[in-house]
Amino acid sequence: MKPRVAFFDFAGCEGCQLQIANMEDEILKLIEIVDIVSFREISDVHSDDYDIAFVEGSISRPMDEERLKDIREHADILVALGSCACLGGINKMRNRFNEDELIESVYGDKELVSNPFFNIHRAKSVDEVVKVDYYIPGCPIDRDEFERFVISISSGKKPELPNYPVCVECKKRENPCLFDEGKLCLGPITLAGCNAICPSRGSPCIGCRGILEKPATECIKEIFQRYNIDYNELKDKWNMFNFGDKIWRKE
Amino acid sequence: MDGEICRLEKDDFLAFVDNLINGFETIGVKEKRGRFVFSHLESAAELRLDHDVTILPPKKNFLPPYEKMIKFNVGEQKGELLGDNTKRVIIGVHPYDIVALKQMDMVYMEGRPDELYKQRRENTIIIGSDILRVNDFSFASSLGTHVVEDGFDLMLTDLGKKVIIEIGSERGREILMDYARNIKEASDQDIKDVENHRKALPDRYKVKLDIEKDQIPFLLMDVFEHPLWEEESKKCLQCGSCTLVCPTCYCYDIRDEISLTLEDGERIRTWDSCLLPDFTKIASGEIFRKDKSERYRHRFYRKGLYIPMRYNFIACVGCGRCIMACIPKIADPAKVFNTLSRRKHESKGKLVYKMIEGVEADSRILPEPAVIRRIEPLTENEKLFEIELLSRDSFHFEPGQFVEVSVFGVGEAPISISSPPSGDNRFELVIRKVGNLTNRMHSMKEGEKLGIRGPLGKGFRVEDLEGKDLLFVAGGIGIVPLRSLIKHVLSKDNRPRFGKIYILYGARTPKDMLFMDEMEKWKEVDDVEIRLSVDTCPEGMKWNHSVGVVTTLFNEIEIQNPKETVSLVVGPPVMYKFVIKCLEDAGIKDTNIFVSLERRMKCGLGRCGHCQINGIYVCREGPVFRYSDIKNLPEVFQ
Repeated sequence: MKPRVAFFDFAGCEGCQLQIANMEDEILKLIEIVDIVSFREISDVHSDDYDIAFVEGSISRPMDEERLKDIREHADILVALGSCACLGGINKMRNRFNEDELIESVYGDKELVSNPFFNIHRAKSVDEVVKVDYYIPGCPIDRDEFERFVISISSGKKPELPNYPVCVECKKRENPCLFDEGKLCLGPITLAGCNAICPSRGSPCIGCRGILEKPATECIKEIFQRYNIDYNELKDKWNMFNFGDKIWRKE
Repeated sequence: MDGEICRLEKDDFLAFVDNLINGFETIGVKEKRGRFVFSHLESAAELRLDHDVTILPPKKNFLPPYEKMIKFNVGEQKGELLGDNTKRVIIGVHPYDIVALKQMDMVYMEGRPDELYKQRRENTIIIGSDILRVNDFSFASSLGTHVVEDGFDLMLTDLGKKVIIEIGSERGREILMDYARNIKEASDQDIKDVENHRKALPDRYKVKLDIEKDQIPFLLMDVFEHPLWEEESKKCLQCGSCTLVCPTCYCYDIRDEISLTLEDGERIRTWDSCLLPDFTKIASGEIFRKDKSERYRHRFYRKGLYIPMRYNFIACVGCGRCIMACIPKIADPAKVFNTLSRRKHESKGKLVYKMIEGVEADSRILPEPAVIRRIEPLTENEKLFEIELLSRDSFHFEPGQFVEVSVFGVGEAPISISSPPSGDNRFELVIRKVGNLTNRMHSMKEGEKLGIRGPLGKGFRVEDLEGKDLLFVAGGIGIVPLRSLIKHVLSKDNRPRFGKIYILYGARTPKDMLFMDEMEKWKEVDDVEIRLSVDTCPEGMKWNHSVGVVTTLFNEIEIQNPKETVSLVVGPPVMYKFVIKCLEDAGIKDTNIFVSLERRMKCGLGRCGHCQINGIYVCREGPVFRYSDIKNLPEVFQ
């Protein structure tokens, strides 16, 4: 029996689903091993009978919470897809403002209070609302990692995230360290699995897969001094995807 | 300089390199964003011989960061060993990297070689290069690795207008003669120039070791409990970079990757690092060397004590790569050894360390085909599998040895053999459902195929037990490997060779007890005393024996002749300390206690590094150990 899978999106850019829609050749193989029963980006078919729910986006409204809880009830396995779902991601950057301020700065002084679509609360990751069985982080997700995930589930293996930072993959690809170029790279503290895609192209890691472990502050200060990096830059970069400080590694 | 020495003018040298590029897959040192890497050469113009150090060592060409070992088909459970027989030339290898390669050769080629490493190594020509630019962080001269006398096919010294070439092997001579033109004999002046260059090198090193390299192992034995480990590891980001860029680190992980069709795939190996928290994690989730200060310390002990004791070389060549790669700057071996030597007195404890004799396992990478002949459910979580090897008529092993069970598409797991040696090609495994492979095993049926590597490791040496009284102590699933030995000694032919036999066996609850029916039969054998206990007996369950941890059973027996009693103990890690205390109290000598330990035996060959207890490989010097051999190892009973 092929597992029946469904995709759902909440607050996000749908870029993670797009990664899957863009799998092209592989998608034909993919549908040989799973039944896609709901995937708005590629098909208008929808069924509420599914085994695995992939949930993209962060949760930002009471009505979204209700919908998510409903999905959780239907699904045997619920997978948070992408940084918004796994961490709250970029949407969480707004959590430092209050909701009225936000509505006003985006929509001006229009009267939106009565409109339920604009009834927002602070942005949450999926696991702040329902139990998540598996995470596929990344902004956007890595197609290969998604593929590995589906293969694991379909072949009865437990999907596992790496428990080490991006540096491991970056070193294996023999990239010159961006710290040596005076750039602040979050690779040493960010969960691996992306095959160091950004540093391999000379761009510092911005932590989209989430923080693996909080680095000891004393060593961070020392490091920043040595490499001549502004400490405030860390806070900014950190907050982009990791506002709320979710840490993967619980030791 | 002992070998034959030639000279090429610069233009002729560049033509030589271009000719090599036409004849071989040619790897050379190239620039990459301000650093250097060994990479495919398109033309001689790309080659740099003025590099300080490359980001990764040339090790990557022999033990690639990601290597496909086996191509397999899931349905048929058929695998085929992959390999790489490309003829390669690597140009620009510095002396310290040549020393490191010689060390890698000892690990991967001595005894029973790693097939894949050996193939790459034998197909690769090494063209070394003298160090022209000294890396600011290198301390190669302190270790004597700034120059090297052998281990290369050719050795270049780029002196600007001319390149002096020392021939290091017959193979080297052949490619020089075949691919270079206008080869001249080096003049006395040429040789002098090279010698002067090398002589001047040590003074150019900024970093130096304050102690003789031969003293490093002794220093480390003294400073095991030094506060420095904690001080420095506090800053460790646990990124593994220090080990990943190291030319002498050789640990790897193995996993199966399957394609989206779920029909075929590859078994791959990829570099791993003992600094990463999950490095030692076993299927049940247990982690050894749990604290990051222990992992930080372990790396230095491998470099300076464990590998030197095993292979007789310091496993650091002073290249400086780890120092450059470490962002908090705590990975520097020279700094750490120098600091430890200066602050030696602060150490709160020593490490008494000696090597233990191990076995040289058959190091074939491809598992042998086997089939499940019989499956017997034992408990909720354990099943017994009778396996038949299809590739041979007989399978010889010692009780206590293990095999790597392979299911293509899922992976491999080390499993103790549970049946006594029989002489034929069948044996039994008792498998508890804990991880991916064992879960899969539990869903398999009689007649299904799988793979076996082994037997691996050191088992119980039955001849050492002859004439003795035997006291078996098993906790939980520890009865599984012991059953192999128990059944062996209780067999009609063997029974007279041993004295009295005691078997103490404890499990969590009555339903976790294994082989209860067999125990009834064992009891019937002459002079055998069996005592059983459970930690707890849930209400409603029938239990006619003791309740309590296994050590309570010691009160129920009287060990008649402790001096002549050998005890064989297998159980969960937490059990050993308490059982050993009981044994010592009973007057049993520590040389007469044998234990079997569980770690993450991934390769089973003493290479992948995961099962190490301090410097001891459980897969090679164990899993059965004489207690007196290991009792001083701090990482044994964590």
